[in-house]
Amino acid sequence: MTSYLIRRVASAVIVVLGVMAATFLMLHAVFPSPAKVVLGARTTPQAIAAFNRDNGFDRSVGAQFLTYVNHTIHGNFGYSYKLNQSVNSLFKENAGRSALLSGVSLVLAVVIAVPLGIAQAVKRNSLFDYVATGTSFTLYSMPIFFVSLLLIAILSLKLNWFPFEASQASTVIGVIKQPRSMVLPVVSLTIVSVASFSRYLRSSALDNLAQDYIKVARAKGLSERSVLYRHLVRNSSLPIITLVGLSLPDLLAGNLITEEVFNFHGLGLLFFAALGNEDYSILLAYTLVGGILVVLGNLVADIALSMTDPRIRLT
Amino acid sequence: MPHRAVRSSRALFAVLAAGAVILAGCASGSSGGTPKAAGSSGSSSQAPSNNTNTSTTVGAYGTLPAASGTPVKGGTITYPIINGSTPTYIMPILPGADSTVYNQQFEELLYRPLYWFDVGNRPVINYPLSIGKAPVYSDGDKTVTVTMNPNYKWTDGASVDAQDVLFWIDELRAAVHPVKTDAANFGNYTPGDFPDNVDKASAPSKFTFVLHLTHAYNPNWFTETQLNLITPLPSTTWAQDKAGGTQLDYTNPANAKKIANFLEAQSGKLSTYASNPLWKDVDGPFTLTKFDSGTDANTMTANPAYGGPQKPVFQTLQALYFASSTAQFDAVRAGKLDLGEVSSDNLPQVPIIKRLGYNVYGYPGLGFQYTVFNFQDKTNHWKNIVDQLYFRQAIAHLQDEDAIIKGVYGGAAAAAYGPVPAVPATAYVPSDASTNPYPYSIQTASQLLSSHGWKVVPGGTTTCIKPGSGAGECGAGIPAGQNLNFTDYYTNDPASAGLQTTQLASAAAQVGIKVTPVAKTFNFIVDQYDDPIAPSNNNKWQVEFYGGFTEGAYPTTDTIFNTGGSNNEGDYSNKQADKLINDSKFSSNPNAVQDEASYLTKNLPAVFDPNPDLIYAWKGISGPPDSFSNLTQYGFTPEYWYLTSGS
Repeated sequence: MTSYLIRRVASAVIVVLGVMAATFLMLHAVFPSPAKVVLGARTTPQAIAAFNRDNGFDRSVGAQFLTYVNHTIHGNFGYSYKLNQSVNSLFKENAGRSALLSGVSLVLAVVIAVPLGIAQAVKRNSLFDYVATGTSFTLYSMPIFFVSLLLIAILSLKLNWFPFEASQASTVIGVIKQPRSMVLPVVSLTIVSVASFSRYLRSSALDNLAQDYIKVARAKGLSERSVLYRHLVRNSSLPIITLVGLSLPDLLAGNLITEEVFNFHGLGLLFFAALGNEDYSILLAYTLVGGILVVLGNLVADIALSMTDPRIRLT
Repeated sequence: MPHRAVRSSRALFAVLAAGAVILAGCASGSSGGTPKAAGSSGSSSQAPSNNTNTSTTVGAYGTLPAASGTPVKGGTITYPIINGSTPTYIMPILPGADSTVYNQQFEELLYRPLYWFDVGNRPVINYPLSIGKAPVYSDGDKTVTVTMNPNYKWTDGASVDAQDVLFWIDELRAAVHPVKTDAANFGNYTPGDFPDNVDKASAPSKFTFVLHLTHAYNPNWFTETQLNLITPLPSTTWAQDKAGGTQLDYTNPANAKKIANFLEAQSGKLSTYASNPLWKDVDGPFTLTKFDSGTDANTMTANPAYGGPQKPVFQTLQALYFASSTAQFDAVRAGKLDLGEVSSDNLPQVPIIKRLGYNVYGYPGLGFQYTVFNFQDKTNHWKNIVDQLYFRQAIAHLQDEDAIIKGVYGGAAAAAYGPVPAVPATAYVPSDASTNPYPYSIQTASQLLSSHGWKVVPGGTTTCIKPGSGAGECGAGIPAGQNLNFTDYYTNDPASAGLQTTQLASAAAQVGIKVTPVAKTFNFIVDQYDDPIAPSNNNKWQVEFYGGFTEGAYPTTDTIFNTGGSNNEGDYSNKQADKLINDSKFSSNPNAVQDEASYLTKNLPAVFDPNPDLIYAWKGISGPPDSFSNLTQYGFTPEYWYLTSGS
C-alpha cells in the first residue's frame, strides 16, 4: 500500500507538471502577451513595452515557465493585472463559496441517486422505472446552462418562487444564511448529477441482484428489506465512490457555467471573467487546481475502493 | 480623469455586450433640493434642449421621459456593474491595465474631474458641472490659464484649488517618468503629450493655475484631450509616503515619486477601499461606504459637503455585480434593478420590461465602428488592390447600412459614414456627415470595377483584364487575371458583427468579389491582426471587423489613421490625411477636425459601419432627462436622480 501510494504521488507530480506545462505553453502560443487586450486598443507601443517588461512577457517562454513553476512551488499563483489583486487572495475569497455550492449539490445528488437507482433496479421494467429512466435521460442530455436558464425562467421570473440569482453574500456563512437564494443553483447542479449517478447505480444494482449472494440471502429467509439495505445497497454503491472521487474537482473548479448563470461568486465565475481578460495568472492557477484535484480525486477514489471492497488490493 | 479620456474598441463592444454606466454631466439645478424636472437651468451655452420624446430622433431608441413623480428623500438606487467592468483602482491616475471607463465611472463619483463632459446625449464640456471654467489661451496658444470654481470642497473642509491640480500634475509626472515602468503607469499617457507638453505649471492665485506649453496647440485639442485628463487630488491630505505620515513637499520630484508609490500601493488594496482614510477625502457627490472585493459590489452614500450644482436627494447608491449581461437582464426582468442595461440580444424583451414599468432609451455614443482594410498584406496582390481608391469605394457601395440598422440592430443604431458621424451631435460634426458618399448600390460598385479594367462576373469571379496604372486600368502592380478574393475576420461576439460581415460578403458576391467571413475572438483579432502591434502577421489578414473606437469629445483620429499611428490597425497612409490630422492637433483652425473627418469619410481608410445605440432601462426613479440621456455618452450623474413615491 505504501509503495503504491508513493508511486501514485510520484506519477501525480508528473501529471501536474504536465498540466502546468501544457496550459502554459498553449496560452503563450495563442497569446504571447496579453498586453494589447489588457491595456486596451488605444494603448501605445511604449505602454505595451512597459507592460511586457513589468510582467516578464519580454523574456523567453522557457524562462517565463521556470519562473511560473518556481512561484507556484512557493505557493505564489501570481497577480491578476486586471483585477489588481493577488491570485492567492482571489482564490481565498472564492474557494469557500464554490466548495459550498458543489459540496451541497454533490451530497444531495448522492442522497437522491442511490435510493433512486436501487429502486429502479428492484422495480425494473415497471412504470416507475420507465418514468425515472426517461427523466434521467432527458436531464442528462440537457446542457446544464439550459437547465439553469429554464429554472430561472420558470421558477423565478414566471412563478417568482425563488430569486433569479444566487446569494451575493461575501462569506460562506452569509451564503448559508440565505438558503432560498441557493435553491436554484443547487438544484441545477444536483439534477444533472442525479441523472448520471442513478444510471450507474441502477446498472450496478441490477448486476448485484443477479449475484448468488443475493439469492443466498433471500434463501436464508432474510427479509427483502434486509436484503436490500444490508447487502444490495452496500455492494451496489461502489461505483458511487469512483464517481464522487471524480467529482472532487468540481468542488472548487467545476461549476463555471452554474456560477456564471446564477451570478454566484466562486472560482468558476473568476475563471469565466479571466477568460475574457486573458488574465494569465488566474487561468493558469485555475487549471492547475483543477488538475491537482483530478489527480487527488482519482487517488482518493482508488484508496476508498480498496478499503470498502476487499476484492481490491492496491499493490 | 474625465471619462472622455478613455477611448477604446473594448469600451464600444464591452458596452454593447455587457454594458456600462459611466459618468458625465447633466445640466441643471441649484445646489441641493430636488433636481429640476426639465433640467436645463444653469446649463452651459452648449446645453441641448431637453427633448423628452426622442422617438423620432435619428438614432434614438425608445423615449426619454420628463422628470416626474413625487421625489422621495433618501432611499437606495441600484445599478449594475457587469463582468469586466468591476472597479479595480481608486486613485485618479489610472494605470494602463486599469484604464477603463468603468474605473472612471467609479472614481468620478468620488473625485470630480476638472472638466465634466456630456450635456445629455451631446459629448461636449458641461461647464456648470465642471470645476474648471473655460480655459483662456494666450501667447500664441502656448499658455493656458484656468480659473476654478471655488465651491468645491474636500471632505476635510479644504477648498479644491489650484494646488490640487498642480499636485495631480506632479504625481502624474512621477508616475510616467520613473526608470522602470513609465508609460503603462497612466493609461492615457502618450509620450510627448500631457504632461510632457507642459513646460511649466504655476498657481498665481488660489483658484487659478497656468500651464506654459512646449508647443502651440489647437486650443480645442488641448482643452478636450489634455486638460480633460486632470482630476484635482487633495494635496493637503494625500501628500504622504506612508499611512499617517507627514505631508511632503510634492514639488520635489523625489517626494512626488514616494507619494505616487504610496498611493499606488494603497490603490492596490481593494479590500480596504471603504476603510482607508485616504479615500474618505473626496470632493464628489458620494463617499464610498462599502467595497466588497469578494463580490465586486460597492455602496456609496450621499456626500453632504459636495459643492457641485446638485447634491444627491437619495441616500445610497448601490452597485451590484452581474456575471453577464444575461444575468443582469434577468435582474431587470425581475424588477430588482432601478437602472439596468439593455443589450442588442435583449431587444425582443423590451416590451416585457416596459410592461413592468421600465423606461427604455438608447442613443449612439460618440465613436465609430469600422471594417478595417490591411494596407500591408502583400498576398495575392492585396496591397496593390486595396491601395486603389475605386476598389475601396466599390466595397463601400456594397455595404447596406439601412438594412444593417434595421435587420441587425432592430433599428437601435444610427448610420455613420465617417469617423465623426452625424449623431451624436457635436460641434465637430462635418457638414456632410449626414450624406453617404457611397450609398448602397450593387450597380455602382459593378460600374466602378468595370470602368477600371475588371471583368465583372456576378456570382462568379471578377478578374482584371486591363492591367496597368493608366486611366481605366486596374492599377499599379495588379496583374492580368487577378481576382478579388479576400478574407474578412470578424469578432464572434456580439452576433451583430457576423451578421454585418455576412451582408457585405453577400453583396460582394453579386459583383464577383469573394469575401470569406471568418470568426475570431475579439482578443485574438486585436492581439494578432494589428499591424503596429503584430507586424509579423501583416500578411495574414486582408480585412477585419472587431468593433471600433469610443471617441473623445474632440474626435480627431490622431494615432488611428495617421501614418505610423500606434492605433493604425491597417497601416493606412495618406499624406493629405496626415496633414489634416496634424492640423487638428497643432493648428489654430477651429474647423480642423471637421476637415479631417470629411476627408477620411471620402478617402475610406476603412468602411465605416452603423453606430449602435447604448440602451438603458430605469424604473421607480426619475430626474432631468439629460441625466438619463447622458448615459448613452458614458455619462453617469445619479446625483440628479430621485426615487419616486410608490417605487
